[in-house]
Amino acid sequence: MSLLSSETAACCWIPLFALRCEAARRPELVSRPAALLAPEAAGRLWQVSPLAHRAGVRPGMTVGQAIGLCPSLQLCEPDPIHYEAEFARLLAMLGAVSPAVEPAELGRAYVGTDGLEGLYGSPQRIVAEIRRRIAHPALRLGWGRGKFVSWVAASRAAPGGAVVVSPGEERAFLAAQPIAVLPLDPATYRRLRRLGVTTLGGLAALPEEAVAAQFGRLGRRLWRLAAGAVVEPVVGRPAPEPIVAALRFFAPVADRAALGQALDRLADRALRDPRRTGWRVRVVRAEADLEHGGSWAVTATLKEPSAERARLTAPLRTRLEYAPPAGAVERLAVAFTAFAPGTTALQLFARDAQAAARAGRRRALREAAREIRLRLRRPLLFRVVEVQPWSRLPERRYALIPFAP
Amino acid sequence: MVPPARAPLRADPLRALNAPQPVRVELDGRGLPARVARAAGGKRVETVGEIWRVDDEWWRAPIARRYYEVVLEGGARVVLFEDLVTGAWWLQRPA
Repeated sequence: MSLLSSETAACCWIPLFALRCEAARRPELVSRPAALLAPEAAGRLWQVSPLAHRAGVRPGMTVGQAIGLCPSLQLCEPDPIHYEAEFARLLAMLGAVSPAVEPAELGRAYVGTDGLEGLYGSPQRIVAEIRRRIAHPALRLGWGRGKFVSWVAASRAAPGGAVVVSPGEERAFLAAQPIAVLPLDPATYRRLRRLGVTTLGGLAALPEEAVAAQFGRLGRRLWRLAAGAVVEPVVGRPAPEPIVAALRFFAPVADRAALGQALDRLADRALRDPRRTGWRVRVVRAEADLEHGGSWAVTATLKEPSAERARLTAPLRTRLEYAPPAGAVERLAVAFTAFAPGTTALQLFARDAQAAARAGRRRALREAAREIRLRLRRPLLFRVVEVQPWSRLPERRYALIPFAP
Repeated sequence: MVPPARAPLRADPLRALNAPQPVRVELDGRGLPARVARAAGGKRVETVGEIWRVDDEWWRAPIARRYYEVVLEGGARVVLFEDLVTGAWWLQRPA
């Protein structure tokens, strides 16, 4: 087990994190029904304040439906960069408590607490230390063995409170909890409810094999979580140092083609960063500051890490096409945030040879040549061109130029 | 497609193919290459084949070369030329 792994976990959860970030900037939202628009689905709601929820507004609704239910609803454009910056700040504060910090989603993170007893004492004291560092009134804390128990404990805690599940009490604690705390999709949730299963205890009372037969691998995992039979450790990951390339437009740009070209340029620039040498990019991100405030951000995780610009920008361009920024862009940035070790040139060609069989040799050769050029930052493939083939001086007849198929 | 006006204009760098490499040449009593060395040691010239002269560009920086096609010990066939302006020797691959 790695040094950054921990069986005991503290779950730190601030529900509606993005909306709370917005409310911190605009206090008038606190006393009025408010909702945040979804960053990736234009015209739909993402997070809904309790006041709006009381009026019947739900996440995923269209703006039209929501306004119909609650005419005084305050709608906010999302600012994902701000939310993630705030979340990064939160993670950094947690990092001061323990070296093992694992982000789960915006507003929720796990802190590995193995070995912290020597520093702080009992689990209650560890939790108190976390609260001392993150003095947010909406923070809910849970402590237990494994991420799931700590998460369920946090979900049961009152705002500003904490629930500690002592070792050995996990089963009894979990049994009384509703199945909604499980990582379920809505269809599975409805199916379980229809079968009369409403609590984790009810699910754990069923034979494991029967649940697996009904719900497959997911069912087996759910059963094990509900029965407290699995302890998923917190795994802290060394934070990668991101490579960022950014540009500020002379005048705000809304044209998607121009933004697409700018993404290409920025990706090229980031690929040329010396720190990238020997690494392929696994996670690429585009961020934009918009003209009238607000921001736009997309993150793409590549199935196959790559050092090729077209592959890196393809998912960003798709998102640009289908979920474009809500306004003109003042500043655009491309960031590489996670990496995979690079392959050798030999492997590169081997892979591209397979691509050649599928998609044509020329295309594969073009990709291989571009990747070599980007990785080694100098051309190593050349084409012979005639310069003065009639010359009596041999060195003047032909020359090499960088090969760009 | 017209390139953007602000883009820097830059031609792809050309690299001469078969550029001459400097060598040291020892001559025999007849003034023909007898030994060729690019580093320590060198190789003996086994056969001297064709010899020809090139004079060119007399109107600007004159070029005057005497070429020797030779076979070195081990069987390598190369072309040597003496720069008749500077007296330096150079080696090239045969055309």
